[in-house]
Amino acid sequence: MINSIIRYFLIFLFLVLIQILVLNNIQFSGYVNPYVYIMFILLLPVEIPSWLLLLLSFALGLTIDLFSGSPGMHSSATLLAGFVRPYVLRLIAPRDGYESGSEPSMQAYGFRWFLTYTVIIVLIHHTALFYLEVFRLSGFFRTFARVLISSFFSISFILFLEYYRKGK
Amino acid sequence: MRSLLNFLLKFNNLIIFIVLEGVSLFLLANGNNYHNTRFVTGLRGLTTGIDRRISNARSYFHLREVNQQLAAENIDLRNRLEHYAREENSVFFWVTDSVYKQQYQHTSAVVIENSINKQKNFFTLNKGKRQGIRIDMAVISEDGVAGMIVGVSNNFSVAMSLLNLDFKLSSRMKSNGYFGSLTWDGKNPHEAILNDIPQHVTVSIGDTVETTGYSAIFPEGIKIGVVSSYKKPGGDFYRITVRLFTDFRKLHFVDVIGNLKKGELLELQNQYQ
Repeated sequence: MINSIIRYFLIFLFLVLIQILVLNNIQFSGYVNPYVYIMFILLLPVEIPSWLLLLLSFALGLTIDLFSGSPGMHSSATLLAGFVRPYVLRLIAPRDGYESGSEPSMQAYGFRWFLTYTVIIVLIHHTALFYLEVFRLSGFFRTFARVLISSFFSISFILFLEYYRKGK
Repeated sequence: MRSLLNFLLKFNNLIIFIVLEGVSLFLLANGNNYHNTRFVTGLRGLTTGIDRRISNARSYFHLREVNQQLAAENIDLRNRLEHYAREENSVFFWVTDSVYKQQYQHTSAVVIENSINKQKNFFTLNKGKRQGIRIDMAVISEDGVAGMIVGVSNNFSVAMSLLNLDFKLSSRMKSNGYFGSLTWDGKNPHEAILNDIPQHVTVSIGDTVETTGYSAIFPEGIKIGVVSSYKKPGGDFYRITVRLFTDFRKLHFVDVIGNLKKGELLELQNQYQ
């Protein structure tokens, strides 16, 4: 128990640091803003109580907000991702359900399952985030393109990280 | 009472979600009103310490470039000094000019946090209220317009970058004096859009675009960029793309300009509106 709390804390720290120190500084045409910190929400155990999931989402979003000077933006998007996660998990549950005490990882449920899971959550999160950022509907399709392109990079990055996490 | 408790238990997640989402959206709504939120300034105080460290580390990588810039600026200033010494005799000319310049007060500052990859970009400067920075002062780099101050704390200030969807600047083309409003369209950090120039005007590519001074924030004649292309969409106005002089990626040393007579000007304008 204590062990896994420490482990999740380290994952949290790692993702937040990589986000604010590296990814927030990527300046690449304005279309590519990967937000990889959302991976933390993906990795939390399947059976985590929903209230804890929501609180953690909020805390994560708020932390990112503090460092990118955008109060509320990341927290509301991440909160939404945390809120829909249980429904998404139920929607794409493997035929014989989730093993108790397992993590939604690539190792446990396979590449295709993890890909579907990541794509759904990241798309929801990015859509909320980018539309909240511009806060207007003019240029709808341009924002949509930004969502898709950034999601593509975020998802690739998350899959990459998840692939190498197996080794641990 | 019991059914209320049951209700709360049943929907507790939804309720937590709605409450927290409400808090976030409240922050977001107030965050847009950047300068009014004490909260943000307070939080910025917490994170600027860390940001400053990051910026410090980063500034080492720029030292060579900064040195070159400083050297170039030195030469430029020295040349100008010589120019002044030579022109000192033609008193009339310089008095008018210096009266015009007196309207503004310069102070230099360093950018300690900056972004260009968002739709609404802001940057933080290392000077604040105690150093005389006030809201609505103009920020320029040595190349051109950079932004305007929207929030100050005691020792720091936040400026809205030109690269912000909410930034609007009255500007004109140098060759013919036609003015319009300059905005950023959120696409390219090197380009901004000049609107409201009527289509009967001849626009020449390469023409310099500068500020008009109508806004009482920016002094007149600060360079912004050059016309790089223009289109005639439907309607009466051009859509002119301006290539910006300021490279926001490398924004480091800036000048903050305060307009000392701004209160007087606004008062006069209000009388007739």
